[in-house]
Amino acid sequence: MSTELVKVTINAKDFQVPKGARLIDVCRENQFDIPSFCYYADLALQASCRMCLVRIEKMPKLQTSCTIICTDGMVVTTQSEEIEKARRSMLEFLLANHPLDCPVCDRGGECELQELTFDWGNLEERFIEQKNARAEKYLSPMVANDPQRCILCKRCTRVCDEWMGEDAIEAGNRGANTVIGTYGGWLNCSQCGNCIEVCPTGTLLDGTYRHQARPWELTQTISTCTYCSDGCQMSLGSRGDELMRIVARDRYVNGLNGEFLCIKGRFGHPFVNHEERIRTPLIRYQKGGRLVPATWDEAIRFTAQKLDGIVAARGNNSLAVVGSPRLTNEALYCLRKFAAEVVETENYAVADAFSLKPFFESLGGPLATHQDIRHAKTIVLIGGEPEELQPLTAKQIRQAVRNGGAKLILINSVPIRLREQAAQFIHIRPGTENAAALALAGNADDALAARKMGVEAAELEILRQTISETQGDVVLMFGGELSAEAQAVVAQMPYTFAGEGRRILLHPLALFNNSVGALDLDVNGKSVSDLLDAAGVSIHAMYMAGSLLPEHMPKCGLSKLDFLVVQELFETETTAFADVVFPAASFAEIDGTFTNNDGFVQRVRKSIEPVHQSKPDWLIVSELAKELGVDFGFERSASAVFREIAERIPAYADLRYPLLKDESHPLQVKHAIASKRELAKEIAGIRRAVAELSDDGVKVSETPQVGHELFKLGTLTDKVPQFHLLAAGNPTPASFAISPLYQITIDEGIKREKAVA
Amino acid sequence: MFIGAIGCEPLQLRRVHLENSRWLDVYRRNGGYEAIKKVLDTMSPDDVINEMKKSALRGRGGAGFPTGMKWSFVPKDSPKAKYVVCNADESEPGTFKDRYLMERDPHMLIEGILIAAYALGAKTNYIYTRGEYKYLIDIMDVALDEARAAGLLGNKILGSDFSCEIYTHTGAGAYICGEETALLSSLEGMRGHPRMKPPFPAISGLYASPTVVNNVETLTAVPDIIKMGGEAYQKLGTEKSGGTKLWAVSGHVNQPGVYELPMGYDDMEKFIMEDCGGIANGKQLKAVIPGGSSVYIMRADQIIGKDVRMDYEGLVAGGSMVGSGGFIVMDETVDIFESTKNLTEFYKHESCGWCTPCREGTDWLVKIFKRIENGGGRPEDAQLLLDICDNIEGKSFCPLGDAAAWPIQSAVKRFPEDFEKHLVNNSRGESKHKGELL
Ligand SMILES: Cc1cc2nc3c(=O)[nH]c(=O)nc-3n(C[C@H](O)[C@H](O)[C@H](O)COP(=O)(O)O)c2cc1C
Ligand code: SF4
Ligand code: FES
Repeated sequence: MSTELVKVTINAKDFQVPKGARLIDVCRENQFDIPSFCYYADLALQASCRMCLVRIEKMPKLQTSCTIICTDGMVVTTQSEEIEKARRSMLEFLLANHPLDCPVCDRGGECELQELTFDWGNLEERFIEQKNARAEKYLSPMVANDPQRCILCKRCTRVCDEWMGEDAIEAGNRGANTVIGTYGGWLNCSQCGNCIEVCPTGTLLDGTYRHQARPWELTQTISTCTYCSDGCQMSLGSRGDELMRIVARDRYVNGLNGEFLCIKGRFGHPFVNHEERIRTPLIRYQKGGRLVPATWDEAIRFTAQKLDGIVAARGNNSLAVVGSPRLTNEALYCLRKFAAEVVETENYAVADAFSLKPFFESLGGPLATHQDIRHAKTIVLIGGEPEELQPLTAKQIRQAVRNGGAKLILINSVPIRLREQAAQFIHIRPGTENAAALALAGNADDALAARKMGVEAAELEILRQTISETQGDVVLMFGGELSAEAQAVVAQMPYTFAGEGRRILLHPLALFNNSVGALDLDVNGKSVSDLLDAAGVSIHAMYMAGSLLPEHMPKCGLSKLDFLVVQELFETETTAFADVVFPAASFAEIDGTFTNNDGFVQRVRKSIEPVHQSKPDWLIVSELAKELGVDFGFERSASAVFREIAERIPAYADLRYPLLKDESHPLQVKHAIASKRELAKEIAGIRRAVAELSDDGVKVSETPQVGHELFKLGTLTDKVPQFHLLAAGNPTPASFAISPLYQITIDEGIKREKAVA
Repeated sequence: MFIGAIGCEPLQLRRVHLENSRWLDVYRRNGGYEAIKKVLDTMSPDDVINEMKKSALRGRGGAGFPTGMKWSFVPKDSPKAKYVVCNADESEPGTFKDRYLMERDPHMLIEGILIAAYALGAKTNYIYTRGEYKYLIDIMDVALDEARAAGLLGNKILGSDFSCEIYTHTGAGAYICGEETALLSSLEGMRGHPRMKPPFPAISGLYASPTVVNNVETLTAVPDIIKMGGEAYQKLGTEKSGGTKLWAVSGHVNQPGVYELPMGYDDMEKFIMEDCGGIANGKQLKAVIPGGSSVYIMRADQIIGKDVRMDYEGLVAGGSMVGSGGFIVMDETVDIFESTKNLTEFYKHESCGWCTPCREGTDWLVKIFKRIENGGGRPEDAQLLLDICDNIEGKSFCPLGDAAAWPIQSAVKRFPEDFEKHLVNNSRGESKHKGELL
């Protein structure tokens, strides 16, 4: 929007507003109430509910304020008898065929239609005819549908199309028979549930939470998602000790994601109160024996003695400490501190899928926030598949292209779904992503890069040209495919491409909710595979918080350890080797922080008490430290841990919990910016590696199935029955009237397919 | 059935009675494709638009927007492709003039589109018909093939530098697809929903490019305007409504048909009673819907002895509108409550469902009509109907909502006795409000 101001007069008061401002927004910002259903910021205009009517001088009819751009001298009336009659009549129309049985509707209590009706009051029901009735049904394991409550604002179909690029639901039929429906009856999409979120009425409903609670019974707690690195803000709805649901409804939470969540964030939470949660500390007194329940005192004492013994016998470095990128900064900090100050071992690692350490060490410019991505002019995506792994980022890219006219350049061996938005798709051979870094660095290696990637050299020239001609922001993103050297090259690109009117922002597609935080706190950590390789050789005991990833398991060497302690929510393949297991509290039960791929430090807040005897990971570590004679001094307060982080880790300097309390204004970590440096060594390394690649790898020509990563069963999503249906291909049930969970039994065999996130 | 001109030389209907009037050679032998030749040889696009402005031709699709002005809105310097789209949806109840033009003189339409395309710089043009007009598409396709073979369509038309193509496309049977922006959505392969205006199609229409949408009858007037000159064409009609107009007459007259009248024809009573042969079976005239179902219904006493001139201004003065020229005559046997119910059911059926007032309003109105018909009428229902119409009118997303409201508003106000009898003689036998409904 321009900085030029125009004068508008609203209800006889004058306002100076930016040229191009939308009237409905201007009215609302100035406390003139305008009702609306179809208007939704940053979605295509609909202008169909007709609730937002206002009178504008010199215009013949009432006008929809959602479609009006303010012009100089505009004179607007938002309150008059005529306007009130018009708005009330629209509400009357909407209620005509709408059931008036709010007490049985799942949205009752947080329904926009109900709210407006009650706010205005004094409604006479003139509609005495028979209402059009339609049967309730399920659209998918996640989405339930009560079509007669629909007011056809089409927020749902617009988010499905514009946010998700899926277009899985659409209006069918015509006139009063219009219904929101699917193609072919059963919804085959990524099941993000954003349609449910934006629905103002009880038409699209959370099929996993339906009829389980009333919204006013729930305590809303603002927190951060525990799945991917996008770090969506969400509201945890709990009743007593039970986490009932997760939403991003803007009446409860206003984070970087707006009302957006993906399937995992929204529906992936039932693991929290799952019956398989580990209830008490467990001890395996003898190798080969069973894990048996123990008290906390006993387990801590037993563990301390064992660790003491091994360290005394084999030296400090015989103990390794391994964290997980799912843990809070507080937990990771305590683990790190435990390694450094309690046992003084050099062997500390985080079990992430890939490390972004080389990237952050060479970081030559700022990280892009999700807001930056939405407003970028050029986006370059090397490898990765954000649609499945960082869905919010994918949505921001899509909107940047569709609503903002950004150019997306995709460099991928697979035509991922974002290809539909790509201005340029550089379709490369699998495994040649590093060559993209060569191409970014300059044209010297174009012939080699193009040959190995299986593309024309001209395509690489266009890539560089597009970046260097951009006016506005360029965001460089990359997935886990890049080598350490290639990461370093990309990290330095701001020095190559930034120029007058052009910022180069970086966006690493980390995999887990706290991959970035884990790296920030891991001052000189090691690679987890090196530690695992040393198991039974130089390392004889391990202390792990969280389990290893499936890809670490095959040759993990855990069986060769003398002693293994694991903090976990569930018994996993890792705990199968453990001698002691501590029950850890989940993200819903603790206070802490996660750092997302924007570098935002965001709060995790306790929604329910830790289930059973579980405790926050950081607290378990502290108690063990105390038993070993080192008092961390944090008492029982996560904020005390964070204060120490802020004091010791420069990038987190000056941050405090109170400063992080407003999720709508997240704070960015101050990552150190590395100065411009010579990249010859890295480039030579990449060149050598690329030269060794084959010339005839086959490119994947098929777009991957929606959900091929999202629906994979991991330790957490495995606990959500609906995910099993999705992982099995979301079969269409015999009846849509009944939840598919009660109709379809899934073969246990599919459960154990390899999972990533 | 009568097809011909009254009060003027036939212009649009000049060739319809000729044998094989659809064929190219007949069209050419009778003055066809002379206008496009004249345009290509001697006129610039601006010249064409100027003639159109002088002709005072107003769009025949219903809204009556001056065609020359519409054409001049298309930005000349836009780098985008431009399109001419012929609106042959003809879905307004009571309207059946476009179909005769296409059925009997398809080349006249092609020539009109060619001239428009030349004036606007359009290379690709479409004829969009309603789904039920499939047979007309076949006729148009044959004519387009003929024209193409004769070098009148395609590359370098008539040896000039002007090239353009015309394609046909059918809708799937929806009234709303006659509304120009819904038509464009449908043509793009999307749901036939109207789009927001502004931007108007002249700026951002088909594929977000400058587009002119014109009715068949509007475009078929173009060749004559070029040949006789805008001024001469205008003089056939009145100062503000130039030329001649087709009226599709149906209902209780002795001679229904398609009548070509000069704009400003005097007067409606004479037209019904003499030109159309009077009311059939010796009955009395009760009501006329003069411009397609969407306009105000007129009482006989608004016509008889009232000297209603048949042009845009005259009909407004007389209490209705020219609309699409679908002229429906009703005799004394018609129950206006029933006929209005019938129309309301049409609008309910055809409401696209996009916006609240039209979608829910028409559904509710039909329910009320049905209840009344089944003996459940209440005295307050007349007011209720009017109030619902008032809540739709002027508040809907596109004019279909207005079109649904106007017939009811005018019918309840102008024929209260027909409503009264259903409302007070209901199954509850209420009668005390007789004569006090409104
Ligand atoms: C609901 C609705 C239906 C319409 N149906 C038709 C139609 O069937 N044929 C037509 O030519 N115009 C129809 N129109 C008018 C068109 O929107 C448009 O004004 C017309 O095609 C412009 O052409 P003209 O300038 O030549 O009249 C309709 C308008 C509305 C609101
Ligand atoms: S008035 Fe509204 S519902 Fe009716 S046809 Fe137009 S947009 Fe569709
Ligand atoms: S908010 Fe403006 S029409 Fe719905």
